[in-house]
Amino acid sequence: MAMQTKERSVANGVVLELAGDLTYANREQFKTAVEAIRQKGCRHLILNMAEVRFVDSSGLGLLALVSQNFKLSQGKVSMLKPQSYVREIMSLANIQKLIPVYDNEQDALAGQQKAA
Amino acid sequence: MPSTSVEPTGQATGQTVLIIDDEPTARVALAARLKRLGYRVLQADDGKAGLDMLRRERPDLTILDWMMPEMDGPSFCEVVRQDPALLSSQILMMTSNDQPEQIAEGLARGADDFLSKAASKYEITARVQAGIRAAGLIKRLEDVTAEIRRKQDTLERELQSAARYVESLLPVSGTISPGVEMVRVYRPSLGLGGDLFNVVSWNHDLLGLYLLDASGHGVSPALRSASFATFLRRESLVRHVGSSDPGAILTEANKHFPLTENGHYFTIVFATLDIRSQTLSYATAGHSGVFLHRQSGEICWIAKPNLPLGFDPSTVYGTDVLSIEPGDRLYLLSDGLYEVPDATGDLWGQDRLEEVVRTLGRRPLPEVLSGAVNEAVRWLGHEQFPDDVAVMGVEFTGC
Repeated sequence: MAMQTKERSVANGVVLELAGDLTYANREQFKTAVEAIRQKGCRHLILNMAEVRFVDSSGLGLLALVSQNFKLSQGKVSMLKPQSYVREIMSLANIQKLIPVYDNEQDALAGQQKAA
Repeated sequence: MPSTSVEPTGQATGQTVLIIDDEPTARVALAARLKRLGYRVLQADDGKAGLDMLRRERPDLTILDWMMPEMDGPSFCEVVRQDPALLSSQILMMTSNDQPEQIAEGLARGADDFLSKAASKYEITARVQAGIRAAGLIKRLEDVTAEIRRKQDTLERELQSAARYVESLLPVSGTISPGVEMVRVYRPSLGLGGDLFNVVSWNHDLLGLYLLDASGHGVSPALRSASFATFLRRESLVRHVGSSDPGAILTEANKHFPLTENGHYFTIVFATLDIRSQTLSYATAGHSGVFLHRQSGEICWIAKPNLPLGFDPSTVYGTDVLSIEPGDRLYLLSDGLYEVPDATGDLWGQDRLEEVVRTLGRRPLPEVLSGAVNEAVRWLGHEQFPDDVAVMGVEFTGC
């Protein structure tokens, strides 16, 4: 399934709404969307995963890459509302150690304020 | 439209036109006109002779009369379109009866274009040039296709050679150390796989075992895996890590193999079997495919959730230690064996794999492994696994 991305600015960050599968087939689209946000100087990227059904091993690698790239530019990445299957994949690979997972936007933003 | 605008100006450059017509007067007149335009012209006076000439000479364009004894124009076209060697021939059909129904029938039976016998010399020249142009495009398409096919063949031969090299890196099934039997399965999905496993003999009593899975498919993960396998050779580990401790090895490997620019990485399980003290120490990095089948019948998946290699350079991978007894079996595997979808997309999964292994019980290791692969194939519905499949089954016989 293809992927749709939509970005929305919030206080101190950008929410990227993802819909579809985060997989090898959609990697360029995901990378392009995220890189555009990072180059605008965004310090906190919040990935809304509520509409993502599936993440494969390539998708997992991209999430790690995005987290590393934001860290290099003094930013951070958080994740919102992953579905249960995606949440399970994330926890098997312990991704929440790199990308904190939140159930709502306020908590994600608050997490950022605490870190600041 | 002024007549000058349709007057063809192009100069023929030695292309060949075959004219097939049983009326000599018309045929010779047309031949003379085309020769004056610079074409090489061949002539045949019936369909059968025309077919022979088409096969022998492969002209750029064939001009064909509709009405002929024995084989008429449309029948000629049908024969050509069913012959793989001829089917791309350009055919211009001539008729004195240019009713729309007849034109439709001729096109339907295989002609490319029509020419009325009453056409002006300008129209004849223009249609011949159009036919030659189309023939040129088709020729180019055929040449490019043949070139792509040649390159594809070369590439496939190189991939097969690389695949044989990767296979040569794998250990051979059998007794890998006194008291330890190993059986393996390796089925790369694209000829060339990113999964690798091997045995590292530390000394008589200490045996390292690993299985790694590079993300992605094809040439790049296979190259990365081969490079990782070099890092995991005994001499290299002694130099870089100075220890047989699985956690220490993965912690060091994590620094050597960062994420690639495309976000590719490895998952791995590394185990060290101490035959004398009967202990199994192991560490995993984002790899869940490892379980222990105890002599008692108990099956435990022993991986803990943790980051794949390259995700965070500061990760410290810990070692877990279990005691083992003779008859215990350790399975290291890539998720390619159990993450296989059935027709509805439902995955076979670890639980079903575990059930198959439990059912096969104490059958010899080779039977358990082939039984598990067969069940996965049955679930999948065909033999072509979507991902690489690698399994190493190890039995500690203790003697």
